[in-house]
Amino acid sequence: MSMVYVNMFLAFIMSLMGLLMYRSHLMSSLLCLEGMMLSLFIMMTVTILNNHFTLANMTPIILLVFAACEAALGLSLLVMVSNTYGTDYVQNLNLLQC
Amino acid sequence: MNLFIFFMLTAMFILLLPIIMSNTQLYKNNLYPHYVKTTISYAFTISMIPAMMFVSSGQETIVSNWHWLSIQTLKLSLSFKLDYFSIIFIPVALFVTWSIMEFSMWYMHTDPYINRFFKYLLMFLITMMILVTANNLFQLFIGWEGVGIMSFLLIGWWYGRADANTAALQAILYNRIGDVGFITAMAWFLANMNAWDFQQIFITQHENLNIPLLGLLLAATGKSAQFGLHPWLPSAMEGPTPVSALLHSSTMVVAGVFLLIRFYPLMEHNKTMQTLTLCLGAITTLFTAICALTQNDIKKIVAFSTSSQLGLMIVTIGVNQPHLAFLHICTHAFFKAMLFMCSGSIIHSLNDEQDIRKMGGLYKPMPFTTSSLIIGSLALTGMPFLTGFYSKDLIIETANTSYTNAWALLVTLIATSLTAAYSTRIMFFALLGQPRFNSLSPINENNPHLINSIKRLLIGSIFAGYLISHNIPPTTIPQMTMPHYLKLTALAVTITGFILALELNLAAKNLKFKYPSNLFKFSNLLGYFPIVMHRLPSTMSLTMSQKSASMLLDMIWLENVLPKSISHFQMKMSTTVSNQKGLVKLYFLSFMITLTLSLLLLSFHE
Repeated sequence: MSMVYVNMFLAFIMSLMGLLMYRSHLMSSLLCLEGMMLSLFIMMTVTILNNHFTLANMTPIILLVFAACEAALGLSLLVMVSNTYGTDYVQNLNLLQC
Repeated sequence: MNLFIFFMLTAMFILLLPIIMSNTQLYKNNLYPHYVKTTISYAFTISMIPAMMFVSSGQETIVSNWHWLSIQTLKLSLSFKLDYFSIIFIPVALFVTWSIMEFSMWYMHTDPYINRFFKYLLMFLITMMILVTANNLFQLFIGWEGVGIMSFLLIGWWYGRADANTAALQAILYNRIGDVGFITAMAWFLANMNAWDFQQIFITQHENLNIPLLGLLLAATGKSAQFGLHPWLPSAMEGPTPVSALLHSSTMVVAGVFLLIRFYPLMEHNKTMQTLTLCLGAITTLFTAICALTQNDIKKIVAFSTSSQLGLMIVTIGVNQPHLAFLHICTHAFFKAMLFMCSGSIIHSLNDEQDIRKMGGLYKPMPFTTSSLIIGSLALTGMPFLTGFYSKDLIIETANTSYTNAWALLVTLIATSLTAAYSTRIMFFALLGQPRFNSLSPINENNPHLINSIKRLLIGSIFAGYLISHNIPPTTIPQMTMPHYLKLTALAVTITGFILALELNLAAKNLKFKYPSNLFKFSNLLGYFPIVMHRLPSTMSLTMSQKSASMLLDMIWLENVLPKSISHFQMKMSTTVSNQKGLVKLYFLSFMITLTLSLLLLSFHE
């Protein structure tokens, strides 16, 4: 596999690690989610352009739309938590209470 | 061509004269009451002539004077129906009114507006005459509304008293509900028979007359205070005693019964209506007799007694005996008016004391009132050969021997014995025993107006039954043969009521009970009917309209249906279903460990 793809793949893995392992702020998890989306987008665009998959040219844009939606959802959850507790520390989510 | 019509119309025209004179000087001097009383006595004498003509020859007349208007095919004219019912009722009503006018000359003597009082009473009498002589429903409605208005003005005579105003308003409201039924009947007759004249209504054949007859029954329920629309009658005792004697015992409240009697050709073929009437009358008579047992105001007891007798009249119509009901109307007027006048005499003598628990021992100071009260009560309960016997005993006999609803019959018999019971209660508390009133009120009954008026009604209470029932033309054949136990039923239950009430009163005379029993409370608070029905429907409808006006659109549709309900539902569901503890970092860590482990294991596979 060429170095470009390995590079972007590594970026994806880094962001995934960041998503799954973080200390206290929920916001850092969301930021890493954005990073994942970014690396996926770049990988997809480079592959399509290099291999001339002409009919798949709109796929990255669709990916971007869905990434925006899920970012909004994540942010609204963050806002809900922040409304209740004042901060977004993830150790606040220990009670089964809304 | 005889002078029948002339005498009758003259008698009615004479009644109008004091009203016409009310703009002149005559109205302002203090002989006006005397003038009104003499007018009514002359009208009575003149109206006796057509009555005797009717008795001897059976002549009935319909007088159609003046064509008022024609609305497309409906012709409205001024039309008087002088038949069996009107000709006999008018002299009776005029006689009773004559006595009541004379009585109120004594009772309302110190009232500064006594002239207006007499004018109102006279206007009431005129509208009642319009009602009973009406030949079409429109004229009857004029009389109907007229007696309602005069009732309102007279009940609220002492308008400074808040209770009197609410009682007058209550009377108007309950009568209005009955008027809805009346107008339904009028509309149905107009739409289906194109007439408001009795003759055309009775001739036209129609298969199903339930709707107008139900309307008429509702009208009678409202005007004659049957169960469901009855609370206005005891509240109407807020008016002066002459008003109670005239309107709410003899004349106005029988207007509803009179209406049903007028329509007897329609009712005699309709079994459903007869059953309904019978059951309504039975429940009225029992319920009001139960309520009368524990009341403490003497006028209220007599008011409930009136209501119970009205129920009995409706029962009589229900067993298809309208002429007997009419006879009971006529005889009832005498002794009921006299009972009210005796109560008025007692009330005035005791300085406006109406509570029977504060009367007593009037047997010696007021002998005339005592004896007339006792005779009136005996006539009411149907003592043999007094007035009430000729109508009441016949009613009970007819009900016993007819193919009728056994429950209604049983209830009527129980109510008859309760009649004796509460009459005994009045007599016991007001007349017997030691006095329980303040000793400084001057008790006398030596005013000739009082004595003469009660004396006339006393003679009427004793003899009128015999005189009327032996002089009227025979209409329906009374049941002649029946087993002796049926014949004596009315007498037996009445005597039972008397003895039981006397025993109970004597035995419990000085006993005091701490907590009233549930049955006592039911009876004393009029079956909880006014308490519940005056508050609950109005509160509920006002609350419902407030809620639907303010909350329905805004709060429910815009706010609660989609947004809040979805969020609420989701929260409920998630708290129910989830069993997680919120250890987010651990969960993420487990993702990563799984991922790494699987990658490592799978990449070193051969």
